[in-house]
Amino acid sequence: MEILVAYGQCYDAERMIPITSVHVAGNFPVLQDEGIEWLEELAQGGTRVTVYTTKNPEMFDPEQAEELRIPDIYRLRQKRIHEALISLGVIPTYTCHHYLVGNVPRFGDHIAWASSGSQVFANSVIGARSNRDGDHVALAAAVVGAIPEWGLHLPENRRGELLIDAGSLPLDDYGPADYKALGWYLGKKVGTRIPVFANLPPDMHIEGVKGLLYTLTVTGATGLVHLAGITPEASTLEAAFGRKPPLSAEIIPSQKEVDKAYREISSSTEEKVDLVIFGCPQCSIQEVQEIAALLEGKKVHPETQFWICTSRWVKTLCERMGLLESLKSCGVRVVADVGAADGPHLYLKEQGVRVIAMNSARGSYYAHNLFGMETWFGSTRECVQSAISGRWEGRK
Amino acid sequence: MIKIAARPVTKGVAEGEAIVSHMPISFTGGMDPETGMIREPGHDLEGRSVAGKILVFPTGKGSTTGSWQFYAAYKRGHAPKGIINVRAEGVVAVSAIITNTPMVHELEKDPLQLIKTGDFVRINADEGFVEIESKSGDEKD
Repeated sequence: MEILVAYGQCYDAERMIPITSVHVAGNFPVLQDEGIEWLEELAQGGTRVTVYTTKNPEMFDPEQAEELRIPDIYRLRQKRIHEALISLGVIPTYTCHHYLVGNVPRFGDHIAWASSGSQVFANSVIGARSNRDGDHVALAAAVVGAIPEWGLHLPENRRGELLIDAGSLPLDDYGPADYKALGWYLGKKVGTRIPVFANLPPDMHIEGVKGLLYTLTVTGATGLVHLAGITPEASTLEAAFGRKPPLSAEIIPSQKEVDKAYREISSSTEEKVDLVIFGCPQCSIQEVQEIAALLEGKKVHPETQFWICTSRWVKTLCERMGLLESLKSCGVRVVADVGAADGPHLYLKEQGVRVIAMNSARGSYYAHNLFGMETWFGSTRECVQSAISGRWEGRK
Repeated sequence: MIKIAARPVTKGVAEGEAIVSHMPISFTGGMDPETGMIREPGHDLEGRSVAGKILVFPTGKGSTTGSWQFYAAYKRGHAPKGIINVRAEGVVAVSAIITNTPMVHELEKDPLQLIKTGDFVRINADEGFVEIESKSGDEKD
């Protein structure tokens, strides 16, 4: 409660409001030992959450711990986090696509989602209301059942602040990776403001939407993005701005800048790829199907590892659909309970993995900056081709 | 000595040498909790430590797990002593709250213009002001 009061005071919140859903994010690489101790202290004395609370991915898939030779020191830490979460009453979903597997707020619901990507997804796609709270606030809110009313909880703070005209980009040819590169470039320009996108295709694929939103929160810190015609509160530009929209756009991104972002996201210069890893955010079943189709009849290069990170639910679906077997025969490992941005890199690095290819700009940023991995960023197709040849096949 | 009104995020008083960035900071991935070093490639503080300093920067960015990394840095003695933001953002604010780090934002004048790396800065988050002693003859950045 003290955390919530201090947090509320800092933003002049007038009152606490009840919340319907919480999601918490951290695993060992970000928590560190100090964070585990903080969680354990919170769990001591029988503190429990009072709101439906789910949890982001962990470090390794417990069903593959032996096979992957996960060191005891990591097993012990993951176990301690798991036990603290269970004791707190958190649902151990270990997924970052919790909105695909049950934690689905409704339009207008007040929620506390720590996990910058899914938080901006909740605000922008579902129309639920969450600030960029962070785990400590989200956990405190889950225990208290309420959150200070400030920022994006208030309708007057959800109005667009700047117009971005995507109309001069070749969007007909855009795949998810292009939207990620676009998000990378724009995040720096947008910062903490609320952007309104005009001229995006109204039938924009959900993977493109996710790609754009999840990357905007890596180079920027926006909590809400109005995609005119897609975001529930932005059926029109007028609705997004809550007034007459500006006559001219503040940012009109060009393809040149998106191309430059592609080069910025990749940090590697070495062409030999040790690992191709998908799943930041964790792969949906459609993404797994796409990867499997691209790989059909081909084999992963013997010196390259190929990982698909997903949730336990999607992995179970893969098994049921025969995808697990067919992917395995191509040389692909499907891991559950982990994401491609953080957890696995800790032990993969210790096992000699250095150069990795990803279709996630977000994953590339964290793999490089948190774990010192050399990364290549490209489309799903380019990553799959690189896994087959063992060398980076995308743009450099 | 210049005195400027500021809005407190937390309470307390901190003073020391300023380190100023003109770019947003992500504590996850952007700062090494082992050393307090900024490690984001291309960042204007890349390779420089914020440990024990008064950290002045525009706002936060990036992962909301940043408060864990800040907490770990704090426990290891590598966190900044105080924080001045142009505009506080949730992750940085809660990092300061859980570590009792004095923090202010929304200063009457732009702190990025007024404060230079190496200046002596005092944050008074109890009363809501910042004092700056310019070390302009002895610039370090």
